[in-house]
Amino acid sequence: MRFVHTADWQLGMTRRFLAAGSNTGRAVGSAGEAQARFAQARLDAVRTLGALADAEGAAFVLVCGDVFESNLVGRDVVARACEALRSFTTPVLLLPGNHDPADAACVLRRSDFVRRCPPHVTVLDRPGVHQVADGVEVVAAPWSSKHPVSDLVADQLAELGPAPAGTIRIMAGHGGLDTLAPDTSDPALIRSASVHPALADGRIHYLALGDRHSTWTDATGRVRYPGAPEVTHHDEVDPGNVLVVDVHADPNGRADPTNEVRARSVPVGRWRFVRHQAALDTDADLDALDGWLAARADKESTAVRLGLVGTLTLRQRARLDELVAAHSHVYAAVELSRRRSQLVTRPDDADLGALDLVGFAASAARELHGAARDEANGADTAPVDRELDDAASTEARDALGLLHRLVAR
Amino acid sequence: MRLLRIRLSHFRGVHDREVTLAEDGITVLQGENEVGKTTTVRALDLLVDAPDSSRRADVRAAAPAGIDAGPEVEAEILTGPYRFVYRKRWLRRPLTELTLTAPAALQLTGAEAHARVVAILDETMDRDLWRALRVEQHTPAGQARLGGHDALTRALDRAAGGPDAAAPANQGTHVTGTAHAGTDSDLVERAEAELRRYRTPNGRPTGELREAEERSAGARVEHERCRHAVDAVEDDVAERERLDAESAALDRRRREHQAHVAELEDRWSGLQSRLREVETAHGHAVLLRERAESAGARAQARRALVAAADEAARTATRTGEIVAEHHDARTAARKERDARHAEHQRARTAAGLAREQARAADAALARAHDHAELADLEARLQRVADAEEGRRAADAELAAISVDEDTVETLDRLARDVLRAEAAQEAGSARVELVVPDTAAGAPELRLDGEPAHLAPGQTRRLPVRAALSVSLPGQLDVHVRPGRDGHALADAVRAAVEELATACADAGVVGPDAARAALRRAEDARRHRHDHELTVDRELAGRSLAEVRAARETLRDRLGGSDAAPATVRTDGVPDREQLRAAATTARAAADDAAAHAEETDHLRGLAEEAVREVETTAALAAQRAADARHAHECRAAELTDARTTAPDAELDTDAADGLARAREAENAHESLAAALAADDPDSVEALVVNARRVDERLNADTVALDRTRAETTGRLQSAGHQGWHDQLLAAEIELDAATREHTAVARRARAAHRLHDTLLRHRDAVRRAYVAPFRSEVERLARIVFGPSLSLEVDEALRITHRTLAGVTVPFDELSSGAQEQLALCARLACAALVDPADGVPVVIDDALGHSDPDRLARLGAVFTAATSRGAGQILVLTCTPERYRGVGAATVVALTPSRPPAREPAREPMGWDRTVATREVARDVGEDPPAAALPPTG
Repeated sequence: MRFVHTADWQLGMTRRFLAAGSNTGRAVGSAGEAQARFAQARLDAVRTLGALADAEGAAFVLVCGDVFESNLVGRDVVARACEALRSFTTPVLLLPGNHDPADAACVLRRSDFVRRCPPHVTVLDRPGVHQVADGVEVVAAPWSSKHPVSDLVADQLAELGPAPAGTIRIMAGHGGLDTLAPDTSDPALIRSASVHPALADGRIHYLALGDRHSTWTDATGRVRYPGAPEVTHHDEVDPGNVLVVDVHADPNGRADPTNEVRARSVPVGRWRFVRHQAALDTDADLDALDGWLAARADKESTAVRLGLVGTLTLRQRARLDELVAAHSHVYAAVELSRRRSQLVTRPDDADLGALDLVGFAASAARELHGAARDEANGADTAPVDRELDDAASTEARDALGLLHRLVAR
Repeated sequence: MRLLRIRLSHFRGVHDREVTLAEDGITVLQGENEVGKTTTVRALDLLVDAPDSSRRADVRAAAPAGIDAGPEVEAEILTGPYRFVYRKRWLRRPLTELTLTAPAALQLTGAEAHARVVAILDETMDRDLWRALRVEQHTPAGQARLGGHDALTRALDRAAGGPDAAAPANQGTHVTGTAHAGTDSDLVERAEAELRRYRTPNGRPTGELREAEERSAGARVEHERCRHAVDAVEDDVAERERLDAESAALDRRRREHQAHVAELEDRWSGLQSRLREVETAHGHAVLLRERAESAGARAQARRALVAAADEAARTATRTGEIVAEHHDARTAARKERDARHAEHQRARTAAGLAREQARAADAALARAHDHAELADLEARLQRVADAEEGRRAADAELAAISVDEDTVETLDRLARDVLRAEAAQEAGSARVELVVPDTAAGAPELRLDGEPAHLAPGQTRRLPVRAALSVSLPGQLDVHVRPGRDGHALADAVRAAVEELATACADAGVVGPDAARAALRRAEDARRHRHDHELTVDRELAGRSLAEVRAARETLRDRLGGSDAAPATVRTDGVPDREQLRAAATTARAAADDAAAHAEETDHLRGLAEEAVREVETTAALAAQRAADARHAHECRAAELTDARTTAPDAELDTDAADGLARAREAENAHESLAAALAADDPDSVEALVVNARRVDERLNADTVALDRTRAETTGRLQSAGHQGWHDQLLAAEIELDAATREHTAVARRARAAHRLHDTLLRHRDAVRRAYVAPFRSEVERLARIVFGPSLSLEVDEALRITHRTLAGVTVPFDELSSGAQEQLALCARLACAALVDPADGVPVVIDDALGHSDPDRLARLGAVFTAATSRGAGQILVLTCTPERYRGVGAATVVALTPSRPPAREPAREPMGWDRTVATREVARDVGEDPPAAALPPTG
């Protein structure tokens, strides 16, 4: 039996950095449009995985939670999602996750969704065993609120008996596994201790999970996260995949750990969220950064987050700003990570000499120059208060920059 | 820069003139008005500024009037290391020539030459200072704007800072720095302009910064709104969950409670059936009690019936006795009544007789009356008939007489006319007087018309002569007198009147007026008689008509029946008979009355007896009725009793009553015992419990309804919120907030930078200016003390403007000083500049007809000021004046007197000797190479 395991479509998601600059009055066109393209790409990923399911002859597509980014998404998002679901014929099972729990506001029960939803789509908003095909059962553990107070998967497993002979039983759940979570105090974490016995005694044959946006599998290969079909965050590892899972039923209902489950990870996402860390101290470093940015493929569907460390002169800083601005016209987004960047701008004597001033203007320039340098130095020694010191030194530097512009005028 | 020589050709009013100036110190150009002093200075500006191709307004204004030639200026100038002759012509055959002699010989022409000169001047001189140091003609001698000029700034830098601080930088930028001449002050303005893009002078945000702040605030509000909406939905979701749980709990409680209610209801219905039993027992007991009571009542009724029968029998007996008594009384009464009746009959007969007699008497009396009245009426009628006869006679007489008052009057008038005619005749006719003298013996025998007339002696008789008259004494004498013609006319009138009278009399049927009057009197009498007769008729008829009286007479006659006997009797003994008759009638009436009274009395007595009889009979009838009733009642009672005893004998009734009573007591006891047993089971408590349980059930139901409603409301809110897309809106708001915040941060950062730069520049400029103030002030004071005396001190602001003057301890603001003092101080400030500025950097100070407000004493002192200003070898000062006396006090001055330069009358003078060459009276020995070095100036202050 073959099915497509996916999760975390997060339809209706927006990314702030994709809209960045859209309202500063400079780069209106590309950036506002990037957000729209990103939204479209998420829908395209759904169409792609549907086509994949059709092509692979999958029995169904199991979506383990977070179909929508929120229960409060607008009608347009719902309508487009339904349209994407309509593009293929393989039956689809939608499990409410933590973003779209089956509470009173559940989008999967909303009238606009129900009306538009194509007939091959089933919402697993009722916990328990669902007969989805001959000899195939899906045990659903849907979220019924945003803050469940128990391990929903374990709750279902506790009530299950062994699967009938010849029946493949797949558990669909959503949430973090306790072995992956740093904080184990969350009562809703899925306990491995209750999952493994169930897999071992044949109550279930495969645990399909959602919530983790990176593709992941455990040692047995029977507990898997497919990851988001389209990237959503820079921190994700190997996103943009769906899993094509083959489960072979043992006639006596026992699990065979050696060859029972085979899963293939198939990429469907096209977007890339990329981090780039670089040291910037010289013009050569700037050249390298420029080269790196220029060399990337698929720029229009790539969002780059730069972590830059180093010390630049006023002129170099201006060049960096120009360089980033120029590339951000092509890329979906180019942004500086505040957290991972530590750039110091320190005006040098050449900056001052270029001004070529006399009299009080010269002495004013010298004062600003000194302030910018001093405070920049101070910032290096006290990184904790960098923000505050930055403000003062930045002001002096900006004033110096302005002076450059006014003199040049 | 120094101007060594300047030549003007065909320039405005100047035909051709060359002026040579002292290279150092003061040159006074003196001349009359319009001789071209100011023009000379303007020409220098034009030479430097306007290319030869220019057709600017001031170039065109420079063209000479009436001569076909272009204005031309040539100047020899020494500036920095350069020395050159520069010549330009405009409008007609334009020309530019530059001949550089130092530092290297070079000749240029056209635009190249112009560009080279502009470059040289920009490099070596401060043109702003050049303009600032001029005092223009006819402009207020205000203070020059001295702050910010490079040359002065450098000089003041030198003076303020000394050689150590600024010298190296200044030395380094001395030559190249001049390329940025003027940017320092510009820079402050530009920095301020930049700052104004973000903040108003009051420090309020404006422009981009305000927009960014507003956008940021708007985004925050929108974001807050969306977050509230999302939170509200989240709250509603939680609320729904809570309501669901509550609803489930409530259902559970209702089910539990319903079991409890059912159990209580069972108990309650058991008690209810027992209660109904008790009620039945109670009803039975009440029924038996009622029956017992009715049996007792029947026995009682029988006893009463027996008593009543006995009583009826007694009553019947007694009434029979009474009836017998009444029978005797009735017989006596009837007897008495019959006696009375007879008596009355008698009395009535007597009264009838008496009344008949009285009536007969009355009739006789009436008859007598009628007779008397008939007689009277007959008499009256007779008298009336007589009167009627008389009246008819009078009427006949009246009819016979046709004379009336008018007739009489007419006749009288006619008679008077006759008389009058006669009188007229008499008067008009001759008269004959016959006189018999007294003495005559007797009366003559006289005849008149034949008639004897007697006339006694002494008598006279007059006779009118109406007609022929004859008087005669018979025998003796006949006298015939005949009337004249007048006498005939008169006689005719008399005749006519007489005839008329006769006619009238004939008409009236009378003889004459007297007869007419008599006839009138007779008519009067007849009328009176007629009247008397009418009165008589009226009186006799007494208001009635004659027919009425006759009818009354006929009536009377009829009544009396035509018997002739009675009237005769009456007529015979009328009066006594009637009296007699009246007395007899009266007597008869009295007798009749008495008889009637008696009959009345007896009738009354008879009535009384009648009454008594009726009374007795009534009483008797009553007694008989009573007796009958009593007998009947007795019979009824007896029959009733007999009937009752037939159905139930007395003894049986008594037994029934006793038995019923016993049964009723038994039933009552049974009821009491049942009720006591029920009360022991406390049905009230059970009922209270049941009622309470039902209430609780109702309350639970109400709670469920309320809960369902709240749930439905929450669900409705959620449903509508679901379609709002709050998540998308919130995300959009977050993005907008982020962008707005970032934009605001960026703009704020730029605003801060602009502020910082502006602030820093201002601070440094002010610091520099403060440093400039001291040397500038000491130089101005040095010069001004020459004018105002040693007690003078000045205050100078950072823009190098004199703000206050203190003289002999009195401080006055500059603006409040007199015009003269302002002028003198402003001049001192300019001269101080000239003295301060490095001769290499210096520019000529031009004073165009200033000091018009200064008194002679001050003028003398100002002369010393000029000298003092140039004593250190600095600068070139050019004074233009039309009143040379003002500048007499200037010791070290080169005076150039200008005379009008007009074109020659005929030929255009083109040869050099034709030029109006003015020769300087004092030769200046120095040349470029001997300029004192800048360092040679002693530091001031």
